[in-house]
This record gives sequence, C-alpha cells and structure tokens, in this order.
Amino acid sequence: MNNKVNVIRRVWRFLKQPSSQYSVLLIAAVCFIGGIIFWGGFNTGMEATNKLEFCISCHEMRDNVYKEYKETIHYANRTGVRAICSDCHVPKDWGHKMLRKIQASQEVWGTLTGFVDTPEKFEAHRMELATNEWNRMKASDSRECRNCHSLEAMSSTVQKQAAYQNHMKSKAEGKTCIDCHKGIAHNLPKEYRDPDEE
Amino acid sequence: MAYKNVFSALISLLVLLVLPLEAHAFDEDTARTLARKNDCFMCHGVDKRKDGPSYRSVAEKYRGNKDAEAKLVNHLISGEVAKFTDGHLEEHKIINTKDVDQIKNLVNWILSL
Repeated sequence: MNNKVNVIRRVWRFLKQPSSQYSVLLIAAVCFIGGIIFWGGFNTGMEATNKLEFCISCHEMRDNVYKEYKETIHYANRTGVRAICSDCHVPKDWGHKMLRKIQASQEVWGTLTGFVDTPEKFEAHRMELATNEWNRMKASDSRECRNCHSLEAMSSTVQKQAAYQNHMKSKAEGKTCIDCHKGIAHNLPKEYRDPDEE
Repeated sequence: MAYKNVFSALISLLVLLVLPLEAHAFDEDTARTLARKNDCFMCHGVDKRKDGPSYRSVAEKYRGNKDAEAKLVNHLISGEVAKFTDGHLEEHKIINTKDVDQIKNLVNWILSL
C-alpha cells in the first residue's frame, strides 16, 4: 500500500513540475498529436457502436426487431439505399449523439438483467419500447428521418399523387414523420390502435 | 313420409341460412392487424372518408353482392386504378402479403361492417 502511494506521489510531482528538458513547442506538439489519436480512437469506438453488427450482437435485437426490419423497405428497396439501426435510432450530430449514447447505457443494463431476453418478454414490452422511440422521434421533429428524407426534396411528378398531397398537407399542419409512419420498419405492437380505425 | 319431407326441408333451410355466414367468417383482430400493418387506415377510416371511402360505406356499397369478396380481394392484390376522394386516379396500393386467406379475412371483416 505504501509503495502504491509513493508511486502516485512521484508521478504527480513529475506532472506538476515545469519542464526543464522539453520545449513548450514540443510538449504542445505531443499533446496535439496525442489529442488527435485519442479523439480519433474515441470516435472510432463510438462509430463501432453504430454498426448494424454491433446492434444485432444482442439477441434481443437480432431475433425480434432485426428480423422484422429485413421485411421492410428500409432494408431492401428499388434504389438500394439501406437505412441501418443507427440511421434511425442514433442522432448524427455530436451533441445529440453523445446524449443518446449515454442514454443507451440503460439498454446495456437491460441486456445484462434480461429485461426483454425472451420473445414473450419482448412482446410484453413492445408497446413500451415503441412508445419510447415514437416519443423521442416526435420530440426531435423526426430528426433522424430528415437525415435522408426532405419534404422540400419530394417531387410531385415522381411521388404518387396521394402521398405527395398528404406530405404537403402534413408540412402545412406542422406534423412530423412519425405521426403517420409508425410501424415503417418494425411490427406495430398488438396494443397499438390507429386513430382512424374506430 | 310427410314428416320426413318437412324435416329434410327444415334441415336444408338451416344449411342455407348457416352456409353464407360460414363463407364470410372472419377474425376481426387478425383483419385489423393486417390493415394496420399495410397502413390501410391512412386512407380509409372505419367511419371516416379520407383519401378513400370509409370501410362502412364500402360494406354498404357491396351489401348483398355475391361477387363482393372476389372483387375486393382483386382490388387489394392487383394494384388496379382507383378513384380517390379528390377525383384523381391512382393505382391502389398492393397489399403486402401473399396469404390469400389473410386477405379474404380482411375483406370479410370490411364487408361485415
């Protein structure tokens, strides 16, 4: 124990003392390059957690929502543009991304505690999980949808007339994508009711 | 003998009454689930006319029509052109399932309204 304390004291003394051997420029350069390496490493690690393979490394995702998503237009379509998990569920800009990643630690906890580790548990919690995501998307004005889709970029000549009219109407009414497009990539919960089905 | 004839007639009448009901049997939950999955309610309310007619008005239109089921099943699988509420013509969305029984179930639920 004494040895450990002595080592810590010696290191701290070394770090505190002004340099007598190395120039400020050299120290600054080393810090600059070290910072780049650290930042690069940090972001590489962060982006690794955005890959599809990382998401489906948890069987809860692989056996439930991933299977459903593979049947949808966001997985395979006419133009070969595929949206993966992070495209819709992780913000692109750094600030929101960091917040989401911190939030996602709850999901790690959920995996460790087996919150939805069986199909039955997953179905029992599907409405809760879906509602969380819908609320998050609504609060951000469907920010992740808008990474790829833009109402302004929709063509009235190429898009089907009814769809185009509804999109322009939603723009005028201040609606957001998730208001109408629930269930676009995963099965709707059995408890979900469309407002117009009654 | 007369009794047997009356009895046979009664049985035949019963079968004729029950058979149409059996032909249009449906599971409402399954029908609604398929409709939700295909965004049918985006254009058709049960009571509300939207881009397309309400389902209740569809049921009214086809009441008593013995070809109703076949016509509506074809409507959902063929992508045939439909007239929208605002008058424009557009291909109806093709339902995203190959299970004909599921499609018939949905159609029969609509026709029951």
